[in-house]
Amino acid sequence: MSQVFDKLLDARGLNCPMPLVNARKEIGKLEPGQVLKVVATDRGSVADFQGWAKVAKNVELVGQETESTEGANVYVHYVKRTA
Amino acid sequence: MAERLKDEVWTAGDLLERLERRDKFFVLDVRNRDEFERFRLEGRIPVPAVNVPYFEMLELGGKDEMLDSVVAYVERDLADQLPSDLPILAVCAKGDTSQFVAQGLRRLGYAGANLKGGMKAWGEHYATRALVEGPDLAIYQLSRPARGCLSYMVASAGKAIVIDPLRHLHPYLDLAHGTGLTIEAVIDTHGHADHISGGLALAAKTGASYYLHPYDAIHPIDVLPATFLYEFIRDSQVFPLGRHELKALHIPGHTLGLVAFRLDDRYLFTGDSIFIRSIARPDLGGKAETWAPLHGRSLRRLLDLPGGTTVLPGHFSSLDEADETGRFAATLDDLKKRNDGLVVLQRESEEGFVRYLLESLPKFIPEYVDIKRVNAGLLAPGEEDAATLELGKNVCALSQAYVASGGGRQ
Repeated sequence: MSQVFDKLLDARGLNCPMPLVNARKEIGKLEPGQVLKVVATDRGSVADFQGWAKVAKNVELVGQETESTEGANVYVHYVKRTA
Repeated sequence: MAERLKDEVWTAGDLLERLERRDKFFVLDVRNRDEFERFRLEGRIPVPAVNVPYFEMLELGGKDEMLDSVVAYVERDLADQLPSDLPILAVCAKGDTSQFVAQGLRRLGYAGANLKGGMKAWGEHYATRALVEGPDLAIYQLSRPARGCLSYMVASAGKAIVIDPLRHLHPYLDLAHGTGLTIEAVIDTHGHADHISGGLALAAKTGASYYLHPYDAIHPIDVLPATFLYEFIRDSQVFPLGRHELKALHIPGHTLGLVAFRLDDRYLFTGDSIFIRSIARPDLGGKAETWAPLHGRSLRRLLDLPGGTTVLPGHFSSLDEADETGRFAATLDDLKKRNDGLVVLQRESEEGFVRYLLESLPKFIPEYVDIKRVNAGLLAPGEEDAATLELGKNVCALSQAYVASGGGRQ
């Protein structure tokens, strides 16, 4: 079951730290309550989004998924702007 | 300023040289805290380090761009912890994020440098050193310094035997190619727990035979047999090599199928039995109490060999166990005096030594069960999973020695 989201950020092919840097910018453009879906290929992004959500104000990590397509993993993060 | 710019990128090889030379520098590690705890940079002397995950720098620095956030964060929250008179090496997992950190440090006037390829590159760096090098006999020690793993290529008359090859094959293939050697046999001294063996793959690639003691072709916890074909090693089996020979000594303890190899009467490839500063742990098969007495008896058997025999171990826990030329080798007589485990072995009864072994067990590493599965062909991880399983330094030695090495347990 996929999470509902308001905006999609394609960070596939980007190395650390860009998925998170770009996600942070996009979150700033959302309204409180809206959800950003981030799609990344960097495996490290899974732990990094978790760690970041703990220190960031007004942000909640509402879901993470790993999708496997044609042998390559894609890491999906759902980030909600809370205020 | 020119001096600072010149040193802005360190390769894993540059880093090893500096660690071996006991150069003083400081590390700003921006990985997650658990990654930092599990796998740190360690040298012949302690490497001072501070860990701030990059996402905290980004968030708390408060800027849109990584570089600006680094500058803001370091200036405000980290300046009092950073030395102004030492190089500061920025370290992350793969070397991309740390570029921003190194750049930010330099913008603030620090001697910031980036570890190229990050801890991944450091963890996969190999160093090759000749211990003996002549047409009649050559012994090369190939190490993965970050992991404390040692392997060997022994050669005579154009033929080579590889002992305990590690996961990446290029160091062995390059060495054989560069020296014109043909790899005839590949031997694993035992079923490794801490790293994925390159043995089977190297044998397949070179057409050599792959040798393993049959006891270690059974996973000790799953009690399942290996899924591949291999040649059995028997106790006292002789592997001829030019005018020399390797002779197997079955020394169960660390594993049931552990085999050491004597090269003539002069060198002893000990696998995971005797290291330089310590001895191997007997518990990685999950049977510490049953295997510890075997381990003691096997070690006593090794101590009966001529004292001038040079020990070539399978691991080290600290770079400082090397001699001043960076080689990990010492005579049995020397080790009887300064190896923690051997000192106790010579002093204690069999029961006393078993007690010492069981009281000195380091934490069990859960990944080691899976690594043994991989080495028995029961599990086939992809590259990323393989790298994750192997992350960090080996913990194959007893814990006293581990702590005494000044390693990463502060």
